[in-house]
Amino acid sequence: MNLERLPNEEKLSLCRKYYLGGFAFLPFLWLVNVVWFFKEAFVKPVYSEQLQIKTYVKRSALGLLLWVTVLTTWITIFQHYRAEWGEVGDYLSFTIPLGIP
Amino acid sequence: MKVLTVSGKSAPICFKVNIFFINFTDLSVVFSSDMRKGHLYFSFAGVGCNSVEKKIYVHLNYTVPCVRLLNATHQIGCQSHLSGNVGVLHVLESEENVDWVLRSGPNPPYLVILESPLFTRSIMMKLKNGSSRVAGVAVVAPSANPLEGVSPHTTCPNENTGVYTENYDPSLAHCNVTVWNPLGSGLSYEQFDFPIFSLKDDNDTQVIRQCYMDHNRAVNGSTPQYPLCAMQLYSHMSAVTDTATCMRRNDINFSISPEMVCDPLGDYNVWASTRPINNTAKGHKMWESVVIAAARLDSRSFFFEVAPGAESGVSGFVTLLAAAHALRNATQEAPPNRTILYTFFQGETFDYIGSSRMVYDMQNNNFAVDLDNVHSVLEIGQVGLRADSRLWLHSDPVSRKNDSVNVRKLIESLQTAAKGLNVSVNEPGFSQPLPPSSFQRFLRARPIPGVVIEDHQSAFTNRFYESMYDNAEYLNISYPPNLTPEEQLVFVTDTAKALTEVATVVARALYIQAGGAESQLEGINADPQIVTRMLYGFLIRSNNSWFQQRIPPDFMSHLTDRPTNFYVGVAQQRSELTHLVQYLLANLTGSTANISQDNCQNQREDEKDKESKHMYSYVWVQGAAPPNSTKREGFCVRSTVRLSKALSPAFDLRDYTSKNYSTWTESRWKSIKGRIFLVASHDLEVNFPFTPQRHEKAQSPPQRDLPSPTENTVHKLLQTALL
Repeated sequence: MNLERLPNEEKLSLCRKYYLGGFAFLPFLWLVNVVWFFKEAFVKPVYSEQLQIKTYVKRSALGLLLWVTVLTTWITIFQHYRAEWGEVGDYLSFTIPLGIP
Repeated sequence: MKVLTVSGKSAPICFKVNIFFINFTDLSVVFSSDMRKGHLYFSFAGVGCNSVEKKIYVHLNYTVPCVRLLNATHQIGCQSHLSGNVGVLHVLESEENVDWVLRSGPNPPYLVILESPLFTRSIMMKLKNGSSRVAGVAVVAPSANPLEGVSPHTTCPNENTGVYTENYDPSLAHCNVTVWNPLGSGLSYEQFDFPIFSLKDDNDTQVIRQCYMDHNRAVNGSTPQYPLCAMQLYSHMSAVTDTATCMRRNDINFSISPEMVCDPLGDYNVWASTRPINNTAKGHKMWESVVIAAARLDSRSFFFEVAPGAESGVSGFVTLLAAAHALRNATQEAPPNRTILYTFFQGETFDYIGSSRMVYDMQNNNFAVDLDNVHSVLEIGQVGLRADSRLWLHSDPVSRKNDSVNVRKLIESLQTAAKGLNVSVNEPGFSQPLPPSSFQRFLRARPIPGVVIEDHQSAFTNRFYESMYDNAEYLNISYPPNLTPEEQLVFVTDTAKALTEVATVVARALYIQAGGAESQLEGINADPQIVTRMLYGFLIRSNNSWFQQRIPPDFMSHLTDRPTNFYVGVAQQRSELTHLVQYLLANLTGSTANISQDNCQNQREDEKDKESKHMYSYVWVQGAAPPNSTKREGFCVRSTVRLSKALSPAFDLRDYTSKNYSTWTESRWKSIKGRIFLVASHDLEVNFPFTPQRHEKAQSPPQRDLPSPTENTVHKLLQTALL
């Protein structure tokens, strides 16, 4: 979708939709929001809706960073300690590797 | 237990070759004349399945791996990577040479070939500690037994599941008084991170040694240059850590593809009685007093399914089978007061699987009799290597102190039985615990009088306990040269005569212990003909005419031209051994019944009979063919032989960390194979994303002939294509 062709109100509404959608445990919507609207929010010359778009993009970036941190931490802990957790580790796993703890 | 069989790889590779050809012929159609196109088509047809893979790899035909076994606390055995372990071959010359493998060799990882005198604990432990440089070990099994004793088992077999625990008597626990297996190195109970295979000393192994000599050996101190001869061994085991973990992973339901990773060890115990006992009504039987005659069936060695078990297993149960046969007439004509119960336990090597299960069933009213019915126990241990014709009677010193436990009577029965025979029975003469025996599990439940007959006074005389050398040669079973298999079957060896004497003593002692009259003893004699045939069948060749006459027709295909394998195996698979003992016991203690085949196989005397199956069991055996025809005349054998499940109670109770019962399981695996090839140096390794392995050069190994000219062209085409 080419943002050039959209009027500014629609750009704002799209940005808002992606921002609000990300709260439904969908951090990729926030990633898309940040990447897609970055130019609109920070590079383009000022227009009336840009301030709102800027806010949405900043908040999406913040949420994204939070998700990335949480997921990275959990994945690191799980990969490292799954074998030691024994039963709990097995019940949390979707596929268990064969032949290694 | 094997789950997937990997089919021969030549077929898919052939297909791949053909596709390449189609491409080239398409290309060449543009440039070539019809004649050339015909030539390429011809070579397409000519190459057929002579694939590139066959020019690179020499597959090992006879691969005997060591597999992973798990129990409540440990895992033992060997493990390889999922994609096999590749190592540069090195034939180990001596123990000092291990240093070269572990430290100074320039091309790690190495795959060490050991001749059997070097397969010792010290070398294996050193290799285990340096396992980053060791890709695997291949042991060349010799054709003759070594001179000095080798036992990979522990020094104190089954020390935690016998009766001698801290509670019973701490001074007798953990082999404090007598170390039963002093030659034990404990190798079978170690965990290795690389595969260990056993190779037979035949042409394949000669190819391997030749490959090493040609390519890998350092000449005049210079390091060998690439390409080097390498071997790849696959024996990836799915289970890990211990039994509780692998049984839990078996049970997990919500994964996409539920995978079984291990199976409990177990099989069936075989038992029979001299008087029919109602097998459907379980639990205590009023007025029934039973003398149990026990023997153990199974054995093991370091490698998977190699378990000749001659002295450790066969000597005992063949003696008991012969004794059961000797008692057949006496117990029919002049039945003694008590019933004699012949029991053959499976899985005793692995913490008494069979006997613990039978005792558990007896305690839970799940068996035809219960422990209150048991009067005494006579067990036959290892009796094949009698020095000075002496038999030793072992008993438990702790329970003997109790006056109600009348071991004296049992010993006197044995001494009476041995009178007039060429066997002398003695007690060890000092206070000594019982050797590892199934009777210990009965004692754990309650004090019962019992004696274990062995051929050793204290430590085992068996120098190859639970090893692959405990075979017919070790029992001195030798035949005169130039005999056909049929003639060997009927030749009575000295070992057979010796075991027959033991069987006669056991039979007579059982008769007296069961309350029979001494006047009948003269008529109770074991038959050396039967003993020698059984020894031949179990230790040399199970596919022989004597066995064939005593089995049902559908079991014929299970008999092989090799000795019977005595490894207990996983519980789902009933082993050849259990079937054979069941049918032999039926033939030796049962009688012919004049019943049609249909009725016989449905366990009834005639169409309306519904009661006989509680007391008897019926087997239709195929019998012999009469002299002037080829069709066998089958007949029905009625006997009291039954099978009882030999699966450790720990698996029924789901207590996988049990300290009381055996928790042994065997891992599953996908494929077990090995192959040798020449490998190029790391510098030539082309790092395509789809070829993560070392780049195997398409050079033929030494023994192969050069390919024909047509194939050579093709070969070169493919080489350029693959590179």
